[in-house]
Amino acid sequence: MKPKVIVLRGTATNCDIETAGAFREEGAVPELVHINQLLSGEKKVLDYDIMAFPGGFSYGDDISAGKIYAVKMAKLRRDFERFIKDGRPVIGICNGFQILAKTGFLPENRGNRQVSTLYTNDCGHFVAKWVKLKVNKASPCLFTKGLPDEIELPIAHGEGKFIVEDVKEMAAITGRDLHALTYADNPNGSMLDIAGVCNAAGNCLGLMPHPERSFYPWQHPDRPAAARAAAAGRLFFRNAVGYAR
Amino acid sequence: MMIEIWTKEKYAGSEEAGFIGRMAHAGLKVKAARLSRLYRVDGDLSRAEFDRLGRELLADPVSERYSLKPGANGFKGAWRVEVWLKDSVTDVVGDSVREAVADVLGRRPERVRFGRAYYALGPSAAAMEAAVRGTLVNQTVNRFGMEKI
Amino acid sequence: MNPMENFNSLSAAELAELDRACGWSLNADELAEVQRQFRTMGRQPRRGELETIAQTWSEHCKHKTFSGPVAYRAGGKVKRYKNLFKETIVKATRTLNKKWCLSVFTDNAGIVEFGEGGRWGLAFKAETHNHPCAVEPYGGAETGVGGVIRDILGVGLGAKPVLNTDTFCFGRLDGKKKLPRNALGPERIMRGVVEGVRDYGNRIGIPTAAGGIYFDDGYLLNPLVYVGCAGLIPADKIEKKVRPGDLIVCIGGRTGRDGIHGATFSSANIDEETGSSAVQIGHAVNEKKALDVLMRARDLGLYNAVTDCGAGGFSSAIGELGSETGARVRLERALLKDTRIEPWEIWVSESQERMILSVPKGKLKRLAAILDAEDCEYCVLGEFPGDGRLLVTFGGEPVADLPMEFLHGGVPNFEKPASRRRVKVSSKKPAAPAYWAGALKALLAHPNVCSRRSVITQYDHEVQGGTVGKPLQGRYGDGPGDAAVIWPQAATLDPADMHGFAVGHGFCPAVGRIDPYQMALHSADEAVRNLLCAGADVRRTALLDNFCAASPRDPEVMGDLVQAAEGCLAAALAYGAPFISGKDSFYNQSRDAAGREYPIPLSLLISATAPVKDVRRSLTINFKAAGGALFLAGRSLKGMGGSVYNELKDSGNNAVAGLDLKAAAALYEAVRRAMEAGCVRAAHDVSQGGLAVTLSEMAFSGGLGAEVDLSAVAREKGLSAVELLFGESPARLVVEVEPGREDEFRRFLKGLPAAFIGRVAGNTGLAVSDGGERLFFEDIDVLKACWQKELI
Repeated sequence: MKPKVIVLRGTATNCDIETAGAFREEGAVPELVHINQLLSGEKKVLDYDIMAFPGGFSYGDDISAGKIYAVKMAKLRRDFERFIKDGRPVIGICNGFQILAKTGFLPENRGNRQVSTLYTNDCGHFVAKWVKLKVNKASPCLFTKGLPDEIELPIAHGEGKFIVEDVKEMAAITGRDLHALTYADNPNGSMLDIAGVCNAAGNCLGLMPHPERSFYPWQHPDRPAAARAAAAGRLFFRNAVGYAR
Repeated sequence: MMIEIWTKEKYAGSEEAGFIGRMAHAGLKVKAARLSRLYRVDGDLSRAEFDRLGRELLADPVSERYSLKPGANGFKGAWRVEVWLKDSVTDVVGDSVREAVADVLGRRPERVRFGRAYYALGPSAAAMEAAVRGTLVNQTVNRFGMEKI
Repeated sequence: MNPMENFNSLSAAELAELDRACGWSLNADELAEVQRQFRTMGRQPRRGELETIAQTWSEHCKHKTFSGPVAYRAGGKVKRYKNLFKETIVKATRTLNKKWCLSVFTDNAGIVEFGEGGRWGLAFKAETHNHPCAVEPYGGAETGVGGVIRDILGVGLGAKPVLNTDTFCFGRLDGKKKLPRNALGPERIMRGVVEGVRDYGNRIGIPTAAGGIYFDDGYLLNPLVYVGCAGLIPADKIEKKVRPGDLIVCIGGRTGRDGIHGATFSSANIDEETGSSAVQIGHAVNEKKALDVLMRARDLGLYNAVTDCGAGGFSSAIGELGSETGARVRLERALLKDTRIEPWEIWVSESQERMILSVPKGKLKRLAAILDAEDCEYCVLGEFPGDGRLLVTFGGEPVADLPMEFLHGGVPNFEKPASRRRVKVSSKKPAAPAYWAGALKALLAHPNVCSRRSVITQYDHEVQGGTVGKPLQGRYGDGPGDAAVIWPQAATLDPADMHGFAVGHGFCPAVGRIDPYQMALHSADEAVRNLLCAGADVRRTALLDNFCAASPRDPEVMGDLVQAAEGCLAAALAYGAPFISGKDSFYNQSRDAAGREYPIPLSLLISATAPVKDVRRSLTINFKAAGGALFLAGRSLKGMGGSVYNELKDSGNNAVAGLDLKAAAALYEAVRRAMEAGCVRAAHDVSQGGLAVTLSEMAFSGGLGAEVDLSAVAREKGLSAVELLFGESPARLVVEVEPGREDEFRRFLKGLPAAFIGRVAGNTGLAVSDGGERLFFEDIDVLKACWQKELI
């Protein structure tokens, strides 16, 4: 079976095409769907096997990154909740993570209130560069299964500082190893160096780095040296598609 | 009505340090600073609706707070500088927020304008104004107001 | 009485006064021609008509200076050009007549073949947005980026943008010159421009991955902001043709008074902020909506033609599309930002983010469905009738009613005098520094050499996942790449297609101050060499020319331009590299604090692109492994003119090394073949700062030192060590060859100047000697620390 992937778009979403391409390369059937198509009822979230919120910007990230998209999702909240609860893989990359945090789907909590945010980087502006990430091997995250202890992925964001205000909520993340990825050298001031978090079931992941930009070895800045190693980002997509099959 | 959005003080350290550094580079010594974002929403909305916009749309519930009374979190004796785009200049953020307000409240306000406020403790009026003109404001597109609170 | 109402009887002085008040910038001949035409028509012109003519005939739209007649005087001889542009830049392209050039000089951008099988074209365009960036750097840069992206969206039936480029020129940040009142300082301009490029490019999702920043006090009052864009277009979507009966549809942003230039003489009472409207703030979200709509509608064949609204707004965009069919425009249908706007203002407003489509009536509904789905606003402004008449009305009231042929054919032109500038050149032996390593460290820290990392990392240079040749590359992801290599997978949607393209630049205004002809040669050479270093197939290089100059009323400015244009012709012919598009910007001069005219130096940016057959095999600059064999390809020539070294410390020699075009072309072809065979692992050009800087950058980007002896280097007789290490003579590059393949490499370069100069070391020491003399030894971490400055 070829899993069907819904790659969600909105006004001025970018990274959607590359993200869809990554799923296609792993044997899934991606479809770019505008939030307006969901709101009008033309398309239904629950008709798909995998969901991806791509990175980049949405609605210009006016107010704050991902906020307007999150507001637009409010009417469809039940469908999204059901999708996650069903255990279908959901990945939010960069802007997608910001959307998942601002809708309250991540970090998982009772009632899915917004308990975390991704705030302006400590340096105060957008930063695009490659970073080293530590992989939490104890995490239930299905996307990061089989990754080595340390990987490299590019980041590209202005608002990536992960903040959880409530210590209990933070303990709920770290206590269950839901922080699937942490920065080796914190680029934005995130609490506990957190770069990505998942839900307890491991099927919903939000992360600031861009795995779709490290899908092929030749996307790495250190060529050909790094080209010998497999590109780390590819496994995120392979794992999701494999799981959905 | 104006909605002012503040970063909670415990998360505001880096933006304040950044601002103080930038002012220092422009030759202005600022002892302490606070920054905020301003949304001026023109339209027939109730107080409860403005509260809802502050709570649900404009302020991040984790890292920010809002107030409907301008300057409520500034320090006493500080300069308060408001910077806006002139009315003739397209306000991209304002336009975008106007649409988002419609998503939240079900109706579009007449107009939304986006601005910023800076609170600075320390400098003299003349030095403050010179630094504002030299770094924060371009009079081709901006207008600004300055007052002591 | 309103002078507009008796235009036909105004005196020359009154016409000039009216022109000034309205901000048209028409000269006396042009004003007289307009008056003559309306006298012939037997009526007074309307405001909208005069505005339309002023826009259509403007320097910006017609490029009157460059494509006009010129008389060039040098050494007692006079050379006359009927059309300088056609007789130099265009002539090169016509002479070369490459079949892989799909569209040149006619559309919004040039288009060359991309990949194999004739499926794709690559559209490439660069322009400048200088004055707006001087006044409001952030908004100016944003709208500059937005404008050139729209050129790519509006070429053919629309190309998908896959790369943004930008090259900036600012005054020195540490400059001492006093600024006039109201002028912004270079640091503020730089910050605003960088933030504008960042916020617009990042939001719209196009990687900003090539370009440069150049500091010189000549740009203190007139910064230059070159913005470029490259996009992919299906080869069968290059032709566009408006069909009579098509609807005129405007999509994207709304029209407002923010796009009105100059003094608005008859309507000054409308808005107290009138004077502020020359600069706009960009709206990337609206442009992204238009982009998303266009790509879908194009592939469904829902329109017959498209162009962008740039200078002149509707008047030029609709005028251009309807130049054969005529156009019937009803301005009351335009979507407006603000109702306080006069009809003629709607017609000429340059509000951003608008595209004009020519849509068959039967397809409007399907197009509208896509526009609605993407929340992209649109309006149907009228139709293209087929009668060759331009009729613009507002609620039945005529705004303009003109024959198209008057608009597009009527502009008079006159011969401009040009003369050669006298420059004192000294060829004496350059003075050596007391301490070679110290000079190298100072060069690495020079603002025109040091790291651009703090700027580049603010741009999303990897969005679309195709930036294979990165602006920051090497072992630590921080080395200075020579050219961007783009693998447009997000446009081809075929990850099995490994074709890509490289984009590089050449820019040498310091050489131009001494010899404008050599500047053009050096710039073209640097651009081609950058492509070669990235492993591109330079046999298929296509070039863009972007000239910025001071007032062409100064014969010496025109003389510089003539020489540089001749240089472009010679270089293009020698490298087999046609120009496919270009643009020019004049009057880049202002009054300084003392009230004197302060012109920029003649500035020619050459942008170049060439195919990369397999992006996986594209090259980076860093040393790859200990033992790698280092060669310097190219002959080192005398002359320190235009070098960074001379700017730091005058060597007493300002001669410019002449470029031997034929030798360079032969050398590059040999190096290219060696690269194709796979012997080369790294390559980096010798440019700003000279050979010592090139070696340092290759070394610290790879974390490996080298043991170098330059004694075998091919050199002009009597070349000094200063010229060898720090001179910037063109047509040279350093390559690292895989150990064991040195002889193979030598065979490729048989009979050409390419010298073995040493090997990559296993440690971090960079040792350079010439014969018996050790010139310097330095740790690469120390060199890197000098180079890593935060510009912003």
